[in-house]
Amino acid sequence: MADDKDVLRDVWFGRIPTCFTLNPDEATEREAEPYYLLLPRVSYLPLVTDKVKKHFLKVMKAEDVEMWFEYEGTPLKWHYPVGVLFDLHASNTVLPWSITVHFKSFPDQDLLHCPSNSVVEAHFMSSIKEADALKHKSQVINDMQKKDHKQLWMGLQNDKFDQFWAMNRKLMEYSTEEGGFRYIPFRIYQTSSDRPFIQKLFRPVSPEGSAHTLGDLLNEMYPDALTRDGEKKRYQVLIHGIEPLLETPLQWLSEHLSHPDNFLHICVVPAPTD
Amino acid sequence: MALWITYEMTFYYVILLRLFTNARLLLRCAAMTETDCCVLDEEDFRRCCRLLLQRSEQLRDGWSWEVVQGSDEGYLRKTALRSVPDPQTSTCSSRPKQSKEEPDCASSLVPDSGRGELDEEDDGSCIVSEGSSVVLQYEYHILYSSSYSTPVLYFRAFTLEGRSLTLEEVWSFVHPNFRLCLQNSPLNALSQQEHPLLGQPFFYLHPCRTEEFMKLVLTAAEDKHRPMNYVLLWLSLVGPAVGLDVPLEYCIEPQPSDPVSDI
Repeated sequence: MADDKDVLRDVWFGRIPTCFTLNPDEATEREAEPYYLLLPRVSYLPLVTDKVKKHFLKVMKAEDVEMWFEYEGTPLKWHYPVGVLFDLHASNTVLPWSITVHFKSFPDQDLLHCPSNSVVEAHFMSSIKEADALKHKSQVINDMQKKDHKQLWMGLQNDKFDQFWAMNRKLMEYSTEEGGFRYIPFRIYQTSSDRPFIQKLFRPVSPEGSAHTLGDLLNEMYPDALTRDGEKKRYQVLIHGIEPLLETPLQWLSEHLSHPDNFLHICVVPAPTD
Repeated sequence: MALWITYEMTFYYVILLRLFTNARLLLRCAAMTETDCCVLDEEDFRRCCRLLLQRSEQLRDGWSWEVVQGSDEGYLRKTALRSVPDPQTSTCSSRPKQSKEEPDCASSLVPDSGRGELDEEDDGSCIVSEGSSVVLQYEYHILYSSSYSTPVLYFRAFTLEGRSLTLEEVWSFVHPNFRLCLQNSPLNALSQQEHPLLGQPFFYLHPCRTEEFMKLVLTAAEDKHRPMNYVLLWLSLVGPAVGLDVPLEYCIEPQPSDPVSDI
């Protein structure tokens, strides 16, 4: 369907207007101007913040330091896609998203280290492989050559939709008898618990052959997220910043609204109280 | 010859080496549990953990079962003190030269000269010369990966003063025999990762190859009609690389014991 391909593009090109400010405690003699940037939802902070680093290092005497980001006191996990971080922590707030930049006191009990882009690549490829283990018992990813894996990564790193999807479409295929992937790669995030996310085995098709929906998934994995009849809505279920209808087939969501890492990242956040 | 030793060959060679040294372990393993060869589902995992835990309590080996608040999921946990040669003062004769450059943590901490240093006659053993040693605290967690249907080993390490070790430091304490195998992993076998239940940074051994090498070992055991505890066997293969030894006593027929903990 022509419409479905548009969805892939809309997801890929989603952006979040962001304002980066240096942590006031790290300010130097010269005042650091905030730095504005449009962040790709599907990418990762270390890949898209080189300019931010350069900008702030101009006013700091530090060299060879590890930059990290925080939003309202919460260190931001760089290994989550940018869009997931925004939806989880700052959806329903006024744009631009205000992120504080730090160069000191790296919180190593909260954040993974990221000394170079190859660490991001390793994480990204690791997610893709795990997703394929769930979808195809790793058959598709293992049949690909190293250069194909590289193409996936380079496509993401250089923001090249066509290059990425030329390879990624193979990871989205399935045999018609199956009716879908073996299991759906997903993670449900919530801010209310210490547990970082919920990830379990879940099939896209029921034993009777009917398609499982987003509602079915939540009902099984996080029933609290659903609003019962007569109740006021307590939570929003966000994927790429939107609330898909609960009736949407999970297989379709997995093929069209997954992140480049092939996972459906679902954020459950408190509904705004007007 | 060294030039065409691929990752797979080196990896399997080391695994087979360990297999042979563990031959006594395999042959003496009393019936612990039958596993449908190579595939470990979550129920099997918990059963294997229960048995491991039971034996650990008898041997006072320190494993415990931790439950995740608000769910029925859990993991095995153990802390241990580990004495390692102080890298400042000890040298190892077949240890690769330390790279002077800033290590690129994920892709390879071991410098390129590493492989070339071990020549064909070298049995890979490391002679550590006299130097002081350092005591570190290691904390090991065994979780179940539903994506790969295997156990996964997560761990973190601290100095006695409470400072977290970096990936580079942890890597430096991996025995050189294992380094050769781990370094060639296309997926950075040893790396930092977020603990899926606790959310904190841990190191972990990537599970994507586990099924492959467990298949080798388990089919060998099946041929001998020896039922195996998958988790125990897996742990005895991967644990030593990161300082976690599995005493042979785990495989000796347990005595009638106290009630088993409820997992």
